[in-house]
Amino acid sequence: MSQLILRDLVKRYGTTQVLHSINLTVEQGEFVVLVGPSGCGKSTTLRMIAGLEEISGGTIEIGGRVVNNLEPKDRNIAMVFQNYAIYPHMTVRRNIGFGLKTAKLSKAEKNARIDEVAAILGMTEYLERKPAQLSGGQRQRVAIGRAMVRDPAVFLFDEPLSNLDAQLRTQMRLEIKKLHTRVGRMMIFVTHDQVEAMTLADRIVIMKDGHIQQIGTPAQVYHEPANTFVAQFIGAPQMNLLKAEGTGTGVRLWNGVEIAVPGIQIAPGRPVSFGIRPEDLKSDASAVLSGTVTVAEPLGAETLVYVDVDGVEVTATAPGRTPPRAGDRIGLGLSGDNAHLFDSASGQSLRTARA
Amino acid sequence: MPTDTTPTGSQTPGRGGLYARLSVAQKRTVWAWGFLAVPILFYVVIRFYPTGNAMVLSFQEWNLLGDRTWAGLDNYRTLVADPVFWQVFRNTFAYLLLGTPISLVISFVIAYHLDQVRFLHGTIRALYFLPFMTSAVAMAWVWRWFYQDVPIGLFNNMLASVGIPQISFLRSTTNALPAILAPAIWAGLGFQIIIFMAGLRAIPRSFYEAAKIDGVSSWTVLWEITLPLLRPTIVFIVVLSSIGFLRIFDHVFNMTSADPGGPLNSTKPLVLMIYQTAFSSYDMGYAAAQTVVLFVILLVVSLIQLRLLRDR
Repeated sequence: MSQLILRDLVKRYGTTQVLHSINLTVEQGEFVVLVGPSGCGKSTTLRMIAGLEEISGGTIEIGGRVVNNLEPKDRNIAMVFQNYAIYPHMTVRRNIGFGLKTAKLSKAEKNARIDEVAAILGMTEYLERKPAQLSGGQRQRVAIGRAMVRDPAVFLFDEPLSNLDAQLRTQMRLEIKKLHTRVGRMMIFVTHDQVEAMTLADRIVIMKDGHIQQIGTPAQVYHEPANTFVAQFIGAPQMNLLKAEGTGTGVRLWNGVEIAVPGIQIAPGRPVSFGIRPEDLKSDASAVLSGTVTVAEPLGAETLVYVDVDGVEVTATAPGRTPPRAGDRIGLGLSGDNAHLFDSASGQSLRTARA
Repeated sequence: MPTDTTPTGSQTPGRGGLYARLSVAQKRTVWAWGFLAVPILFYVVIRFYPTGNAMVLSFQEWNLLGDRTWAGLDNYRTLVADPVFWQVFRNTFAYLLLGTPISLVISFVIAYHLDQVRFLHGTIRALYFLPFMTSAVAMAWVWRWFYQDVPIGLFNNMLASVGIPQISFLRSTTNALPAILAPAIWAGLGFQIIIFMAGLRAIPRSFYEAAKIDGVSSWTVLWEITLPLLRPTIVFIVVLSSIGFLRIFDHVFNMTSADPGGPLNSTKPLVLMIYQTAFSSYDMGYAAAQTVVLFVILLVVSLIQLRLLRDR
């Protein structure tokens, strides 16, 4: 059973601690995405797993073996870099084969492996080309090929899609996901793009300032964010966070509107943050809230509207066909069932599990 | 001449002056040639005219004062028949063929390791660069002192203190050339190291990290990643240092000033021979012929190097 276990992983640069006790277990064949804003420690974590950064504290275990002091090549991992790190002076074949340099295989076996990998990636006809003659997406494939050819237990991806344009990124994202299904290996993927995280991951690890904020499936982190950071980081457009206080059976918003929130008890007067996603806040005649549209962004299927509700700007959705216009006064409907409640001071979710 | 079209810029568009009626592209061309005219003029007067003049002079006799008289190929015939010229020719290539590879290897090894040093990095780099900024004349005289016999010379004193018989550096026909080459190499190292370090810095770190994950040896990394990616840097340094060694003069002149190029012409490079022919013998035509030969050598060597080292 091949597992990757991070135990109390710590990274310090001098006196600055950048990773604080990271604990994570990745199962065989799992696709885990580390996501967070820049400087959150996600790349550092990945590089420590790869063996490119010293470990200041804690342990990393791959396949039941503590690898803290092993050289990268002995860890049974492969890594795909953001800038691809493919060598411009070598052909695609030599680039892919570079990972096999130390493998104890005959030349024929190595070539067979390279051909096999190239076939999987659809790069067979480009094997004799130099990287300069390839497009961005093809270079990315060469980088993935070089990782695949070594048949490692763990694939590490360090923001591999951020150098591609938007369309290609979507396409490569899909290809990486297909590849994962095909090779069935553990993959750890670092990105700052929450859409990439949501679409690729079996489980998402959301990090901030060297701390893990939440670990969960895409559905979990979206529907049950552990704190306000996760709530606002995952999902676009951002979740609205509104000032409120408890009433016992629900909350009273900053403007005095009371909303019943089933399944939770909040002491009257306790300050909380009331979170509601834009898609759960719809322009609606029932009009729990009402305000003036400041900006409308038509997206086709629906329209995003930014509404000034009693001095606070909230993001809501309106129908795509008959969108409101800036300056219109509209009503916004919402249901307490869709609400997320967070402690005002700590930002932690007040609802650990939802029915 | 392009100077004729230098724009005045004083005409307003409404008056329909010649400049105002030009298209944007034409105006741009006018400005480009306007700016280029200055260096072109400079090069023509300062470089190309004297070069052409020297080539003409190589077929003439002239002692600087009298008339220039036509001599045909006489100068070149003298040159080919002159045993000193062939000695000088060998010396020049000895400087080139020893100096370029040795300085290339030393500067690469230093740059490669200096690149990995963080402690006092700037200071160490400055120390290596210092000789490059120092006057060649001053340096040559200091090295001359190093090379003296016991009890003056530094090197021979060191040898003597450990019981090794002293070596005649500058007064031996076999040792003198390497002894002069050493400070010449040393003087150029700083520059080459800086260029090499810039080249090394330009190689993305992830190239090395990817190789580390692939587990290849540091020898493989050096030969298959670092050196191939440094090819443009190496070409630049090889061509530049070759030209430098082919034109070596000041080190030789200052370290053998009692008998320039001696002993017995064993250290004399082509440039020194040209200098002596021109300004000791006042045989301008003969000196010009030697200059033309040097020019051809420089051109051929540079072209061969560029072709051999070109990116395939």
